[in-house]
Amino acid sequence: MRDKYAIVGTATSDLGRTGKDSLELLEQAMRRAIDDAGIKVGDIDGIVSRGPDDIYTHHQRVGARLGIDVRFSTSLDNGGASQILAVALACMAIDAGLATTVITGYGRNSWTRTHTDEGNRTQMELVPQDQLPKEFAPEYGYFGAPGTHAFGARRHMFEFGTKREHFGAVAMAFREHALRNPNAVMKKALTMDDYLNARMIAEPYGLYDCSLVSDGAGATIVTSLERAKTLKQHPVVIKGFGTFNNTRGWLVEDHMIRLAAKQSAETAYRMAGLSAADVNTAQIYDCFTGMVIAQLEDYGFCKKGDGGPFVASGALALDGALPTNTSGGQLSEAHVEGMLQIVEAVRQLRHTYPSERQVKDAQVALVSGHGGNTVCHSSLLLGRA
Amino acid sequence: MMSNVMMPLPQPSIETEPFWAAIQERRFVMPKCDACGTVSFPPTVACGNCAKTAFTWTEMSGRGKVYSFVVYHRVYHPAFKDKVPYVVAVVDLEEGPRIISNIVGMPIADVVCDMPVTVAYDEVRDGYLIPKFTRSA
Repeated sequence: MRDKYAIVGTATSDLGRTGKDSLELLEQAMRRAIDDAGIKVGDIDGIVSRGPDDIYTHHQRVGARLGIDVRFSTSLDNGGASQILAVALACMAIDAGLATTVITGYGRNSWTRTHTDEGNRTQMELVPQDQLPKEFAPEYGYFGAPGTHAFGARRHMFEFGTKREHFGAVAMAFREHALRNPNAVMKKALTMDDYLNARMIAEPYGLYDCSLVSDGAGATIVTSLERAKTLKQHPVVIKGFGTFNNTRGWLVEDHMIRLAAKQSAETAYRMAGLSAADVNTAQIYDCFTGMVIAQLEDYGFCKKGDGGPFVASGALALDGALPTNTSGGQLSEAHVEGMLQIVEAVRQLRHTYPSERQVKDAQVALVSGHGGNTVCHSSLLLGRA
Repeated sequence: MMSNVMMPLPQPSIETEPFWAAIQERRFVMPKCDACGTVSFPPTVACGNCAKTAFTWTEMSGRGKVYSFVVYHRVYHPAFKDKVPYVVAVVDLEEGPRIISNIVGMPIADVVCDMPVTVAYDEVRDGYLIPKFTRSA
């Protein structure tokens, strides 16, 4: 499917503390994406969103809000890996003749939902109560995504000598990018002292290792490259995508340090006919700092285990070897489960940013998605047409 | 200070009920495949190694090592307010399976990956026991 389909419109909703509903945020992002593409809502004949239930954004509700009937619509349930998978599924649906112009997107009001009243304020878990583990977790005080991911960080430190300062380098690099992004939630510079002295959450992870709890949504519009060339924006072509799922679980073998990213990346690189050396900017699913390090290794930007020194070298900076999460990422822009990474990759490849935000001459961007209770991964390689 | 929030107890499924029932008798049992001897936990319908379906709940050694661990500082559940900091670990059991548990009875700063550990039974509340692990002698 290389070079056949393109992203022709993209946008985010308001980000941060919005007081809005998830669907309202997603509709806002989708209508902005439609404007960005210079098309009409009636031109959309496909919808792929993230499901499955009422705290997410089910496609049936999305269609109702946009006021359209469509030829193809569905919702995905791969957690933070869903957003790239939605773009991939859009390509497949168009290729199969099921639609011509597909809108994808995801929104969530994680901040508003957990801060509207005192009862919600103490609700630490974003997943519905009935989906939480009933045994081998609560009785041991094992709660939340930070703890699960910190297992991987700890093992990575043990096996490869990775240090907290390496995790700090990730947090600081993305914060620096956020300071250049007026829509980013985090507005203050972050020093290594700030990082190291912040309160611990689930050690080795402290406050700044953890992504934000924020409201936000993003959307993309996918159509054929042929049609894209007639539209308003410089087309961003879909060069390759891949998925892999460590469905046996996070705790099995070395899944927590060798992620499904590796096989997912290989599939995407093969489809695109590209390798890590061709990637000019990476937008990595940064739910936690250590996950960025592990993924950079799995995607082949450095050897397994060398991710710590790689990020400490300054590689992630805008003028570094691999400008990464150039809008601030989930650690400093806003956490929309990988959706904003896709938006940022498209914007970088359009070359429309002011010079202080633009990755110079970016031709190929990599986007990664991770989620579904840590087992699902997806990869997207985009190119400037 | 007395807390009016109760410590959560495990809510066994139909499949894990024999495990928890044995724990109450201070026995650490898991389903072992009658055909190939592979221990599967959490339980599955068929053996992950040979796909045969006959299992016997079998006493485990209770020995293993720490694959990884996390020190909880944040209070996620009010019952743990007076428990932080505490260690949640992924324990590699000698017989193969990995389980989530706590490492207890030692300074947190001394817990390391690959450390040998042994099962110990700890009362959550109302006489209900759960398996935790201590550093092996």
